[in-house]
Amino acid sequence: MNPVLFAVLNTELEKPRIDWPIIAPVVALFVTALVIVLLRAILRTQPKLVYQLSIAAAFVGLVTSGAFVGNEWRIIHRSGIFQTFSGAIAVDGMTVFVQAIVLIATALGVLLALGYLRREGLETPEYLVLLLLSATGMLVMAHANDLVLVFVALEVFSIALYILAAFDRRRAESQEAGLKYFVLGAFSSAIFLYGIALTYGATGSTSLTEIATQLGVVDPKAHTGLLVAGFALLIVGLGFKVSAAPFHMWTPDVYEGSPTPVTAFMASATKVAAFAAFLRIFAGAFAQASDDWRPAIYVLAVLSLLVGTIAAAIQSDVKRMLAYSSIAHAGYILIGLQVANAGSKRNELPGTAASLFYLLVYALMALGAFGVVQSINHRGETNHAITDYKQLSKRQPLLAALLTLFLLAQAGVPFTGGFIAKLSIFRSAVDAGQYQLAIAGMLAAVIGAFVYLRLVVTMYATGQDDDPDAANEPRIKLDVGSRIALTITASAIIVLGVLPNWFLDIAHQATQLLTR
Amino acid sequence: MNALLLAATKDVVAFHVNPVLFYALAAIAIAGATGVVISRNPVHSALFLVMTMIIIAVFFLTLSAPMVAIVQVIVYASAIVVLFLFVIMLLGIDRHEMLATDDRKYQRPAGAALGLLTLGGLIATVIGNWQLGPQTSSGRALSAIPTLDGVASTTAGETDQIRPLARTLFTQFAWQFQVTAVLLVIAVVGAVVLARRSTRPARTEVSA
Amino acid sequence: MQRFLDLVWVIPALPALGAVIVLLFGKRIGEPKAGYIATATIGTSFVWSVFTFFALQSQHGEGRHHVYNLWKWFAGTGDFHVNFGFLVDPLSVTMILFVTGIGTLIHLYSVGYMHGDPRYSRFFAYLNLFAASMLVLVLGSSFLMTFMGWEGVGLCSYLLISFWFEKNSAAVAGKKAFVTNRVGDFGFMLGMFLIFSKFGTLDYVRFGSHEALTGVSHTTVTAMALLLFVGAMGKSAQVPLHIWLPDAMEGPTPVSALIHAATMVTAGVFLVSRAHAFFDFSAIGNGIHAGTVVAWVGAITALGAATVAIRQNDIKRVLAYSTLSQLGYMFLACGVGAYTAGLFHMVTHAFFKALLFLGSGSVIHGMHHEQDMRKMGGLRKFMPITGATFIIGWLAIAGVPPFAGFWSKDEILAKAFFSGGAQGKALWAVGMLAALLTAFYMTRQVWMVFFGNERFRDSLADDHGHDGHDDANAQGDPHESPITMTLPLLVLGALSIVGGFLSLPFTKPNLEFLARWLEPSLEGAKDIHPGAFTSGFLLSVGAVVVGIIGIAIGFTVYKRGLPDDGVDPVETKLGPLANVLENAYFFDIGLAKFVSGPATKFATFLAEGIDRKTIDGAVNGVGRTVKEAGDGLRRMQTGLVRNYALGIVAGVAMLIAYMWTRAI
Repeated sequence: MNPVLFAVLNTELEKPRIDWPIIAPVVALFVTALVIVLLRAILRTQPKLVYQLSIAAAFVGLVTSGAFVGNEWRIIHRSGIFQTFSGAIAVDGMTVFVQAIVLIATALGVLLALGYLRREGLETPEYLVLLLLSATGMLVMAHANDLVLVFVALEVFSIALYILAAFDRRRAESQEAGLKYFVLGAFSSAIFLYGIALTYGATGSTSLTEIATQLGVVDPKAHTGLLVAGFALLIVGLGFKVSAAPFHMWTPDVYEGSPTPVTAFMASATKVAAFAAFLRIFAGAFAQASDDWRPAIYVLAVLSLLVGTIAAAIQSDVKRMLAYSSIAHAGYILIGLQVANAGSKRNELPGTAASLFYLLVYALMALGAFGVVQSINHRGETNHAITDYKQLSKRQPLLAALLTLFLLAQAGVPFTGGFIAKLSIFRSAVDAGQYQLAIAGMLAAVIGAFVYLRLVVTMYATGQDDDPDAANEPRIKLDVGSRIALTITASAIIVLGVLPNWFLDIAHQATQLLTR
Repeated sequence: MNALLLAATKDVVAFHVNPVLFYALAAIAIAGATGVVISRNPVHSALFLVMTMIIIAVFFLTLSAPMVAIVQVIVYASAIVVLFLFVIMLLGIDRHEMLATDDRKYQRPAGAALGLLTLGGLIATVIGNWQLGPQTSSGRALSAIPTLDGVASTTAGETDQIRPLARTLFTQFAWQFQVTAVLLVIAVVGAVVLARRSTRPARTEVSA
Repeated sequence: MQRFLDLVWVIPALPALGAVIVLLFGKRIGEPKAGYIATATIGTSFVWSVFTFFALQSQHGEGRHHVYNLWKWFAGTGDFHVNFGFLVDPLSVTMILFVTGIGTLIHLYSVGYMHGDPRYSRFFAYLNLFAASMLVLVLGSSFLMTFMGWEGVGLCSYLLISFWFEKNSAAVAGKKAFVTNRVGDFGFMLGMFLIFSKFGTLDYVRFGSHEALTGVSHTTVTAMALLLFVGAMGKSAQVPLHIWLPDAMEGPTPVSALIHAATMVTAGVFLVSRAHAFFDFSAIGNGIHAGTVVAWVGAITALGAATVAIRQNDIKRVLAYSTLSQLGYMFLACGVGAYTAGLFHMVTHAFFKALLFLGSGSVIHGMHHEQDMRKMGGLRKFMPITGATFIIGWLAIAGVPPFAGFWSKDEILAKAFFSGGAQGKALWAVGMLAALLTAFYMTRQVWMVFFGNERFRDSLADDHGHDGHDDANAQGDPHESPITMTLPLLVLGALSIVGGFLSLPFTKPNLEFLARWLEPSLEGAKDIHPGAFTSGFLLSVGAVVVGIIGIAIGFTVYKRGLPDDGVDPVETKLGPLANVLENAYFFDIGLAKFVSGPATKFATFLAEGIDRKTIDGAVNGVGRTVKEAGDGLRRMQTGLVRNYALGIVAGVAMLIAYMWTRAI
C-alpha cells in the first residue's frame, strides 16, 4: 500500500453530514420497531406483556415520528426547500405532506388491527413490527430524491407488506395473497430496476435533481431511446404499486385474501407512498420530458377508470369490489399526474395538488371502508359477500351508516371529502385543457356512483326474503381501537368535505417540488 | 455501485474488449438464462443460473472490475444459488407435474410472443440512438461521464477498486445504504413470522 | 313584511323538519297523526310562501331579485367559491306557491289514501323530504343549489316509486327511473361544469339575461344550453328519456300526482326557464339553435305520447302518457321562447293533472285497487264527487273554455304560430294534432270509467276478500272516498276552473297577470308579437273546435262504454297500428333488449377478460383454486399468477411500443 496514496484518499474522504432532523421521522419508526423486537427477545416469558408494551411503543413511535414531521414542516418554513444527504433526500412540501398521510394511515391501521388480531388470534408483536417497518419504507419513499433510494424504499415497504399479506398462517387465502403479491411484486420491481438502469444510462445520474437538470438542457424533442425506454419501465413499476390498469390484476386477489386491516393499510398507505414517488419522479424530475410520458399516463388513467369502475360493478364480494374501486381511484389520481405539468393559464390548482389532496381523502376513505368491512366480517375472514350485507341497516345500524358514509364519499357525493377530491381533479384537468380526461373521469364517477349505491341499497332495502329476526341479531360490539379509528376517519371525511380550504391550501403548498 | 458500473462501461470504450471474447461470453450467458427458464428439473435450472452468474462475473473481469466480479461470484453464484438448491431439495425435486398444471393454453405462446415483443421493442427503442450519459442541448453525449472524483478512471491496483466503492457507499449513497438495514430487519422478522408452524391453535399464538 | 325575504329558508326547512320528525318518531306518533304532522309542515310552508309572495310584490326593480346567502363554501381559496343561497324572485315564488299549495293538498289526500299501509309514517317522511328538496330546487340561487335539490327529488322519486317494493314491478320501475335520471343528471353536470369553466360562477344572478353572456362563443353557449336541456329531458321525461315515467305509476297514486305530474317532472321546464339566458343567446347566433331542439323534442313528445295514450287501458298509464304529452307542450313553448306560456301551462297543468291523478286514485281506492279501465264503467253514480271533479279535469285538459287548460294551451299554440316562419306553423300544427288526440283519449277515459255499462261486478267479486284494504261496502260495490280525499279534489276542481284567469290573453286592459309578474325573471327573453286580434281569436276558435271534435269522436265511440265482448273499438279500427301504440312504439322493449343483450355482453366480456371471479364465477372468491390445489406453494404455480404476470408483460410491451415512437 502506497502510504501517500492512502493519506490522499483519507483526507479526501469528507464525512457526510448527518441531517438528523430530516431523517428523524424515519429513525423514530425504525427504532420503535427494533425496540419491539428487542422486547420480544428479552421478555420471552411474558408474551402478553410484550404485546401490550409493543402497542404502547408503536403509538409512542408514531407520535414521535409525527412530531418530527411537524418539525420538518417548520424547517421548510424557516429555510425553504433543500436537499440533503448528498442529494438523496429532498426536503420539500410533498415530503412532509406525504409523510403525514403515511403516519396517519399507519396509526389508523394499528388501531384497526388491534381488535381484528384479537378476534383472529393473531396477537403478536411481529405484526406491529412489520407494519412500522413498512411505514418506515414509505416515509423514506416520501423524501427519496434519488432513484436508488426510491427503489430501496419501495422494496422495504413492499417486502414488509408481502409478509403482512400472508400474516394469517391458518388461512390459505392469506398465504396465497402474500405469495401472489410477492411474486408479482418482485417481477414488477425487476422491471422498475431495469428502468432505473436505463434512465441512469441515459442521464448519467440517479439523482432526480441532476436528471431534472439534464433534461432541462437537452432538446425536449430529441430524447434518446434509452431515456424513453427508461420512462416506460419506470411507469410499469410504479403503475404496479399504485395498482393502475393494466398492472392491476393482483389487486383484487391480494386485497381479498389479506387480513382486512392489512388490506386497509395496503390500500391507503401504499398507494400514497407509491404515488408520492410517481409524482416526484414524473411530475418533478421528468417534467421537461412530459410530452413523452403524458400520453402513456393518459392511457393508464383511462384504463384504470374503465376497468376499476366496470369490474367493480359486477363483483359479488365487498372486498373485491373495494379493491376494484381502489383501481378506479388510482385512475383519478393519475389524471392529476397527467395534468401535473400541463400548461395552465390560471394555474389555480395544479394537478399535483389535486392528486395529493385526493390521496389524503382516499387514504381515509379506504381505511374507513375496509375498517367497517373488517368489523362486519366473522372470525376467519368470512361474511364479506355482498349478499351478507343484506339488511345490514337493521342488524348493525351504526356500521351500516358508517359504511354508507364511506361509500358515498368514494362515490363523490357533495359534503364529503370525496366530492372535493374529485372536483379538484376534474378542475385541474379542465384548467389544463384536458377536457376528455375530465369527461372520462366524470363518466366513471357516474358509473361508480352506481357501484357504491348498489351496496348502500343492499344494506338498506327491504325485500320479501327478509329475515324477520334481522333486527334481533346481536349488535357487533366494536373494540376501542376500531371505534376510535372509524370515528376519526368518518369525521375527517366530513370535515374535508365541508371545510376543505385549509387542507387544499396545504396540498397546494406541498406542490413545491425540489426538482421543479 | 451503479456509478461504478457506469465507470466500468466507459472503460469498454477505452479498453476495447476483444469482440470475439465478448460475443462468446454473451452467447453462453444467454444460453444459461434460457436454460433456467426451460429446464423441467429445478436443480438443472439452478445450475444454469450459476452458469449465467459466473459468466456475468467474467464480464466484470474483462471490464477491469474485479471487485464487482468477486462479489458477483460470492453472492449470486454461491450464496443465493446454494440457498435455492437447499429449498429445492427440501421441497423435493421430483415434482415435475407442478409445471404442467396450467389450464390456460394461450399462456405459453402469449408469454413468449409478448416477451419477444418487449425485447424487440426495447432493442428498437434503444438501438437507434445509443448515447450514454449526460447530453448537450444538441443531443450529443458529453465527453465526460461524471466519475467518482476521478478515482475510477485511474487504473491502479485492486485496492483502488474497493476504495471508491466504499467511499461511494459511505458518502454519496450513505442514506440509501443505511436504509437497506431496514430490509434486513424485515427479512429476519418475516422469516420468523412465515416459518412459524401454522397448525398451532389460534389462541396460544402469543405464548410462542 | 320584508323580513320574509330573508326568512325564505324556512320554507324548505319546515318540510325537512317534518321529514326528520316523522322518520324518527313516526312509529310512536301513530297512523293518522304522522300524516297530519307532515301535512301541517307543508301547509305552514304554503302560508309562509304566500307571505313571501306579498313581501316580494312590495319590492320594485332590483328588489325583485333577492338573494339570501346561507353559506359560502371554499371561502378563501382564490376566486373559486360556491355560494349556497336562495334566490327569491317572481319565478321562484311562483314555483314555491304552487309546489307548497298542491303539495299540501296531496299530503292531505294521502292521509286517507295511505290509510292502513304498514309503512304509513315512512311514506309521509319521504313525501315531506320530497317537498323540501323540490323547494330547494326552485329556490336555489345557483345551478349547484338547484342541482342538489334536483338530486334530492330524484332520490325521493326513486324511494316513492318503489315504495311498494314487494311488487317486483315497483322495484324495477324505481331502478329504471333512477338510471334514466342519471343520464339526464350527467348532462346537467356537464352543463354546469362547462358554465363554471367559462364564467367561473354558477350563480343565477350572473345569468339574468343573455347580454350577460357576451364574450363566449355562440357554439359554447349552445352546448351549455343543450347540456342543461339533457338534464331537463331526464327529469321531465322527454323523448328519448321518457321511458321511466309510465313505469313510475307503480308508486302510490298521490306520488304520481305530486311528483310525476304536478311538480318534479316540471323541474325541467323550470330549469330551462331559469337558464333562459343561454337559450336566448343561442338563438341570436347562427347555426344550430338550442331552442329549436327544445321545441321539437317537446313537439315530438307531445304528439308521440298522445298517440300512445289512446291505447292504454290502465287508468294511471293513460294519465302518465298524458303528462308526457303536456310536458311536451311546455317545452314546445320554452323552445320558441314563450317561457311565460310554458310556465303558465305548468301551473294549470299542475292543477288539472293533480286533480285527474287524485281522481283516478280515488277510483282505484273505491274499486279496491283495480286499475284496469275495462273493468270499470258507470262509476259516477257510486262516486259522485270524484266523478264530477274528474269531469272538470277532463274539460280542462281537453281545452274547453273557460277551464284552465284552454287558456294556457291556447297561449302556447298561439305563441308557436307567431314565433315565425314555417317552423312556427309546423310546431303549431303538431300541437293542434296532439290537442285533438288529447281530447279524444281523455273522453275515452272518462266514458270508460264514469259512464257506460258497469263492468266491474265480475272482477270485484273475484278480487274481494284478499284485498284487506278497506271493506266498508259489503256488496263490494265501488264507494266514494273519505273526506280527506275528496276535499283536495274539490279544491283542485275549483282551481282547474278558474286557474286560467291567472293570465288572460288580453292586453287592453292588461290581464296577462302572470306574464307581467314573471317579467323580471325572464329578462331579455324574445318578445313574440301576437298577430292581429282577429287572427289570435281565430286560432283560439280553431283550438276549441279541435278539442270539441276530439271529444265528439270519443263520445261516439265510447258512449255506451265498451262493447260486450270487451274489445276496445280503437283496437279494431287501428289495425296493426294498435299494437304499436299499445307498446309505445316498442321503444322501451327495444332498449331493454339492447341493455340486456349487447350491452350486458360487453360488460361481461370486459369482466371475463380481466377477472374470472365475477358474480357468477367461482363461489367464494379465492376459494376455488384453494380447493383444487391444496397447499400454498403449488397453488402459486397452478394458474393465476402467471396470467397476471402476462398482463404486466402486455402492459410493458404496450408502453415500450409507444415509447419507441417517441425515441429519436
